[in-house]
Parts: sequence; structure tokens; C-alpha cells
Amino acid sequence: MRQAIGLLAAGLILAMLPLVGLPAFYESFLYLVFHWVALATSWSLLSGYAGYFSFGHGAFFGAGMYTVATLTAGLGAPFLAALPVAAVVATLLSLGIGAVVFRVKRLRGELFGLLTLAITFVLATIVLNTRLDGGPGVYLSNVPLPRLVASPTGTFYLLALGLAVLTLAAAYTITSSRLGLGLFAIHDDEDVAEVEGVPTFAYKLVAFALSAGIAGVAGGIHAMYVSYLTVPDTFSITVPLYVVLMSVLGGARHWLGPAVGAALITASLYAFTGGQQAILGRAVVAFVLILIVLLLPEGLVPAVLRRARGQRGRAADVAVAPILAAAGARTEAPATLDCRDVWRAFGGIQALRGVSLSVAPGEIVALVGPNGSGKTTLINVISGHHAADRGRVELGAATLTGRPAHEIAGLGVSRTYQIPRPFAHFSALDNVALAATFGSARCAPAEARAEARAWLEFTGLGRRAAALPHELNLHERKFLELARALAGRPRVILLDEVLSGLNPGEIASAVHLIRQIRERGVAILFVEHLMRAVLELSDRVVVLNEGEVIAAGGPREAMRAARVIEVYLGKAHVA
Amino acid sequence: MVRGALVALILVTFAATALAAPAGPPIRIGGTLALTGPLAPTALLHKIAGEIYVDELNKGNGLLGRPVEWGLLDDQSKPDLTRSLYEKLITVDKVDLLMGPYATSGILAAMGVAQRYQKVFPHHSFGMPHLAKYEMHFPTAAFGPEPNRTVPTTVFDALAATSNPPKTVAIVTSKFSSAQFQSSGAKEVAEKRGLKVVLYLEYEFGNRDWGALAARVKDANPDFLWIGVLGLDGNQMLEAMKKLDYTPPRHFHLFPAPGPLALAPDAKNALSVTVFEEHPPFMSNAGAAKLVPLFRERATKANVPYPYVETQVAGSWAAWQCLEAAVTATKSLDDKVLAQWLKKNRVDTIIGKLRFDGPNNYGDDLFRVKQVQDGKWVVVWPREFAAPGARLLPP
Repeated sequence: MRQAIGLLAAGLILAMLPLVGLPAFYESFLYLVFHWVALATSWSLLSGYAGYFSFGHGAFFGAGMYTVATLTAGLGAPFLAALPVAAVVATLLSLGIGAVVFRVKRLRGELFGLLTLAITFVLATIVLNTRLDGGPGVYLSNVPLPRLVASPTGTFYLLALGLAVLTLAAAYTITSSRLGLGLFAIHDDEDVAEVEGVPTFAYKLVAFALSAGIAGVAGGIHAMYVSYLTVPDTFSITVPLYVVLMSVLGGARHWLGPAVGAALITASLYAFTGGQQAILGRAVVAFVLILIVLLLPEGLVPAVLRRARGQRGRAADVAVAPILAAAGARTEAPATLDCRDVWRAFGGIQALRGVSLSVAPGEIVALVGPNGSGKTTLINVISGHHAADRGRVELGAATLTGRPAHEIAGLGVSRTYQIPRPFAHFSALDNVALAATFGSARCAPAEARAEARAWLEFTGLGRRAAALPHELNLHERKFLELARALAGRPRVILLDEVLSGLNPGEIASAVHLIRQIRERGVAILFVEHLMRAVLELSDRVVVLNEGEVIAAGGPREAMRAARVIEVYLGKAHVA
Repeated sequence: MVRGALVALILVTFAATALAAPAGPPIRIGGTLALTGPLAPTALLHKIAGEIYVDELNKGNGLLGRPVEWGLLDDQSKPDLTRSLYEKLITVDKVDLLMGPYATSGILAAMGVAQRYQKVFPHHSFGMPHLAKYEMHFPTAAFGPEPNRTVPTTVFDALAATSNPPKTVAIVTSKFSSAQFQSSGAKEVAEKRGLKVVLYLEYEFGNRDWGALAARVKDANPDFLWIGVLGLDGNQMLEAMKKLDYTPPRHFHLFPAPGPLALAPDAKNALSVTVFEEHPPFMSNAGAAKLVPLFRERATKANVPYPYVETQVAGSWAAWQCLEAAVTATKSLDDKVLAQWLKKNRVDTIIGKLRFDGPNNYGDDLFRVKQVQDGKWVVVWPREFAAPGARLLPP
């Protein structure tokens, strides 16, 4: 809140600048600073926060420029009326792209970057070969500029300042909202974010649309500023490269980072414009930027803030023994998980062949079988990570089959991963708070953190709340997974080899924890190879082999089945 | 005896005055050039020309007896930066006079600033005359007000005067604004003259796929190929056609990189246009004899690949000549006074007599047709501007 008030106050003070009577150059210079602040910050909304590195910001910027050029110079529309249309055009363009691209899982990372770059070239080609430009460029000097203040430079300055303040306000709001939390989770591990309840597709689309809309407005203003548009200048690599550089320099995951990067780089453009040292100066600037990026990979703002805060909150003590605490929680209505005739194939490999099982509230069902028998696939299908080819999965009255993973999480299904997959840039507390926010609990931010603290205490990680995942040992990471799964207030929890890799003491703690979870009425389906724990914990056992259920029943009964001994155990485990 | 002494005294006094070092506060002329960025290689030519001009001014009497300072800034080939730097020059540095940047986009960006502050704005490399509406801009890229009509007319006149004038024309042009502008004009001019345009193609600025274009030209098999090139496009187009075992009988290049094209083995008899080449009668133009050796010396030192004065350098020099002529004639630095003088008077420059009293302050189209002959550019048309003994060589 203090930051928001500071931002607003700074905006109001800066808005007074044209009244001071400074030479027009300073307004013009600051116009460019704020122009880049808006562009870089808007880029970071998707690319910085969600990690979808876009090289297509120039396309939305260019769409805004040519929208304003077409409406004003071509159709005689007033400039200020054309600006919202520029935003709409750029937004619609991004929604069209995002609606297709964000559905394709393989179009992540560098492929997304290349695709967006290609879109810029495609758009440039369309503009160049149609009446939008056609080649000779579009001239805007005859378009009247409304005077917000006495001078045109002052008007441009105020427009850019306004856009920059609004963009920063949007960035600040997003970073402290569910949307921001979800985007940051997508950045770290999109699949896990979806399974934790983050509506990844919708969030990416919203961020992309907002990012593009702001770029469109920035382009629309800039069209009037440069007054002569050509396709090579408009759709050059300058915009996408600069916004990336500015954001990386300032810190792409912080709401203020890209703005700081934009201000520094724009100022550096002017630092060495003298005719005699221009080339040397630019080389020096480039060298300094490279050094900063190398030495402070997370960006200037996060680095400075980290230094300012010191090491506070980073408790180093490891709490191995779980400290049980009551997580003050609303209890969801218990429900039975029911899988009926579930099939799933990967190409020619049939991973699941008509699996049916059910887990009642407060029941622990162990899912066992040799490697490759389909245990993890079944968990992936139940949690929505994979779709079933046939069959149904139900939770109480709700059908899970066909729903996206985040909806399934919202209905009360949580899971852990065999190899822990925490969000790498989140503290342990934030990892758990995310699940409390997006799981079936749907906590508000403050409530989510309180909930997260309770579950961290419950799993014995209370003193490790501020630690980043890479600072935790395997046991702690496993328990973090558990805390995260519990924070969603699940009705069903799917535990995928949660005990593997733990020492006997840690296993005992974990077994104790799982029993406590069961006492809360949660249905537990757990995949495990550790037979001692299976026998100790489970009410029933389901044995899978090559995607089929080969035995089911009480633990001792199932383990004695001849087929189970033949394909899985190799010897009778239960005397 | 006394009379002789008096004459000697007058001569000495005059010489002393004439050679007096400029004194007083400097006259500051501000401008930008693309010293870095994609336009830098060509902008360097303008930098060298401007530096020589200012040095020569200061070796003499300066301007109005005052030394001249050229406040040159690097606009990094960016129109938005160009605009703000001209605002800096005018509102912060408070320069006395302006000199334009390099290339059309930057000039338009700076022209808006000059217009807002009512500054005289000479410039040397603007390719779209119909877009220059400011009443105090003075262009020395002497295309005339309608280069889309006059430049092709000059070229087709030259071809018509040969023993075997072309009957069919192919036009392949970059979509770069000024190139496309003149090339589309060439199509209209050719058709009006009764020539058959067998092919008209536009390619995108930065194109690298010349094979397809070359194949289309080969199929069209024109008597004359007009290429609306920029830089090295023409060389690449000729190489692509050679790979198809095809050489157009005549080929014209609008804005080529002059050195590489002149030296390319495939560019024999290539045609282009120019306002200046280092041979008579151009060498008799004002300032040519001074500039040519100085430019060669400095350009060679700066590793310029083609250290000869031609269109870009001469246009730049002419812009400085116009500014000096106006200041000297009016003894004023007042922008309106200078502009009035320039509108009313012709200026004797290295590219000929310039006038600014036509539409959008454009005067005559001073572009002539030149041809690569023995690895050098020589003007071949109009005849009165042709190099001694040179004529347009037939295919």
C-alpha cells in the first residue's frame, strides 16, 4: 500500500513538470524514459512474471502505431480517440495468438520466443503489402495533436507519464494479487501450477492481453511522436530487444525492475551521443550492461532489495521432527474418489487398461506394482495432468474426467510428486500459500499465508518458512510437497512415493503425518514401493501390472495373491 | 614609388584581413548523424564532409569573422532519438544554426522540431520531397519536387538517345520508401513513353532471397532492367542472375553502394544517377577542387571503402555551402532572414546552382545518368555533363 501511494505521489509530482518551464528537451527525454518504462513493464507482465519470453512485443507496439496512423492520417479520426482503438487492436491480436499458442504445451520456452518473433515479421509483411502502409511509410505531421499543456513535448510527456504510471500500477497490483502469484508459479513450473489449481491458460491470456494492450497504446503515442512511420523502423528488432534488456537489467520478476532498467538504458542512450565518442561510449555502455547482467542475474531491483533486507527471515535451522499443529481449517465435505474403467495410452504404449478403484473418505489405499505398471499415470489422470482416453473419474457427485487440472484441484484433489517439484523462486511459505490460494481452500492472500504457516508447522517446516527450495534437503522438500498438498484442503490426496529416499526416522515421521491426515477425513491414495509402510498404513491395496489391476483388497490378502508375488514381489511379504 | 608602396600596403592589409583567424564567440551549428546503428556507414561520409567544411571555414574567416563549432551528436539511426536530440540542440545547447541529419526518417523527425522552433533547416539526404512541408527547410538532395517523374525521365531520355533504345522494361524495387516512390514513378514514365513494362516486382527491405526475383527477370527477358536498389541489393541481384546464366542487356541501379557496384565484375555498364562525379564538368563546380583531395585523404584514413566524392558527399557539402552563403550574404544568424535569402537566391554549390523557390522548397532535378566504365563511374547523360569522351555504352 505504501508503495502504491508512493507511486501515485511520484506520478502527480512528475505531472507538474511541464509547469516548471524546463527546456523542451527534458520533456522529450523524459517522454522516452516513460515510453520505455511502459513498454518494458508491460512486457514483463507475461514474459517476466510467467516466464514466457516474448520477442513479439514489437508486433503489438507496431499494431498500435499503425492503428493510430490509419485512423488519424487515413480516416481523420482524432488522435486521442484512436489511442483506445490501438489498445483494442493489440489486445485482440494477442488474444488471437494466445488462444491458439497457449493450448499447445510444446510451445513454451524458446519456441514461444521464436513464434512471437515470427509473428512480428508476419505482421510487418501484412502492413507492408497492404494499404496500411504499402511501402512508402505513413506521414503524421499533419495530424493535429491535442494540447494537454502548452507545448507538444509537454503533451507527449504527460501521455507517456500517464501510461507509465498506469502500467506500473497494474504491475504492482498484479504482483500482489492471485494473478501475480499464479503467473510466478507458471514461470517456475507450469504443469505443477495447473495441478495446484492455477488456471494457467486464463492467466497467461490475461497477462498477454494486458501486456499487448499497453504496448499498443505506447505505439499509438509514439506514432505521433516520430510522425513518420515506416515498416522497417516500426517492426525492427529494437523494441523486443530493448524491453528484454531493460527488464532483465532491472529485474523482470519485480514490478519496479523493468522501469529501473528502462530508465537506466534510456539515460545511457544519451550519455554518449557526442560525435567524437559515440562508438566508444556505446561500447562502454554495452560492456557495463553485460557486467551487471552477469553479476546480478536476478536484476538490479531484487539484488538491491535483498541487500537492504539483509538475511532476515532466512532461518537456517533444520527441523526434522514434525511439530504437529492444528491447521485451523474449514473442512470440506468428505467425498469418495471413484475411478471406473480408466484407459490411457501414450502412442502405442497402453499405460492404463480399464483401471477401476475407489477411495473412501478417511481411507488409505495403497497403489503398488512394478515400475511402469501405470501407478503414476493413474495419479496424473486423476489430477488432470493427463486426460483419460476412456472411463470416468468421479469425486463424490462431481465428474473429474474432462476437466482441466486446476478445476480438479479446486474440487479438492491434491497431489505430491515422486521427485519433489516445488516452485524454485518461491520460499517454502509461498509454495504452500499458493496451494492454499488456488486449491479448494480458495483463501485470500493474508489467510493463505496464515494457513501456509500452520501447514508448515504441521509438517515440521515452521522454521524453514523463508527458505528457498534449493536450500532444503530431500526430506524437507518431500514434506514441503506434503504441506503444499494439504494446504489446498483436499478431499483426496494423491501421494506419489512420498517416502522414497527417506531414512527410517523420517519414514516414521511421515507415516505418523499421513495417519493424522487420514484422521481429518481425507481420502488418501498413495503410491509406494516400501512394503513396510504399505502394510502399516493402508486399509486396502490395489496392485497394478501393465496398466491392469491384478489384485485388490486388504493389504495382507492382496500381497499374498499369487499373481502379485509372481509379477511384483517375487516372494511372499506377508507370512 | 609611393603608389607602389600604397598598393603593397593595401594588398598586405587585405591579405591580413582575408587570412585573419576568426575571433569572438563561436557560431554554433548543431546537428545529428547516425554515427552508430545501421545507417552509420553512409552517415560517416556526411561526417567527414562536414568536418572538412568546418575546418576549412575556420582556416579562413569562419562565419562573419567568428569561428564555427559543429555540435555533432549521434542519433544512433533512431528517428525518436533524432527528434529529442534536435530539441536538446535548440532548447538546451541553444545552437545558432542547424544542420540536418542523415536519411529520410531522421530528417522528418528533426524537421518537425525545426518547424516548431522556426529554425532554418538545411539537409542533404531526403528522398520524399512531397512530405517536406516546412517552409524553412532547404534540401540539397537535388531531386526536384517530383523525383518519381523527373529521375526516370532523365534515365529513359538517356536510353532513348542510344542507337538501340529499349522497348521492354522490367522494374524490380525495394519497398524502402524513397526507392519504391521513384520506382513506381519509373513504371508510369515508361508506360507513358510507350515502353512495355513486362515485369513490376517489389521486394522487402532487407530481402536475402534474390534467386526467385532473378528468375522472374530472366523469364521476362526485358531490354532494360530498373532495380530500385539500396546499398548492395544490386550486386546481389546481378550475382543471382548470373547463377541463372542471365545478364540483363541494360540495368539501372537507383541508390547503389557506388564502390562495390563499380568494382563488381558483373556490373559492367551498370547505370545509376548522381549529382557529382570527380571529373569535368563537375570539377569546375564551386568547392569541388578543394573538397575532392581533402575528402580522399580523410576518407582513406577513416577506411571508407570508396573514398571518392559522389552524390552523398557532394549533397552534404552543398548543404554547408548553402548555410554559409546565406549567413555571409545576409551577415545575419536570424533564421527568418536566412530563410528569406535562400528562398530568393540561387546558391552556387558543388552540385550546381541550387534554388529553393519551387514546390516544397525544391528546385531543379540535378541528377545525371552515370555508368560503370572500366571499373569507374562516369557521367554519360545529359551530354553536356558527360565526362570528356564518355558516352552511354550500348549493351
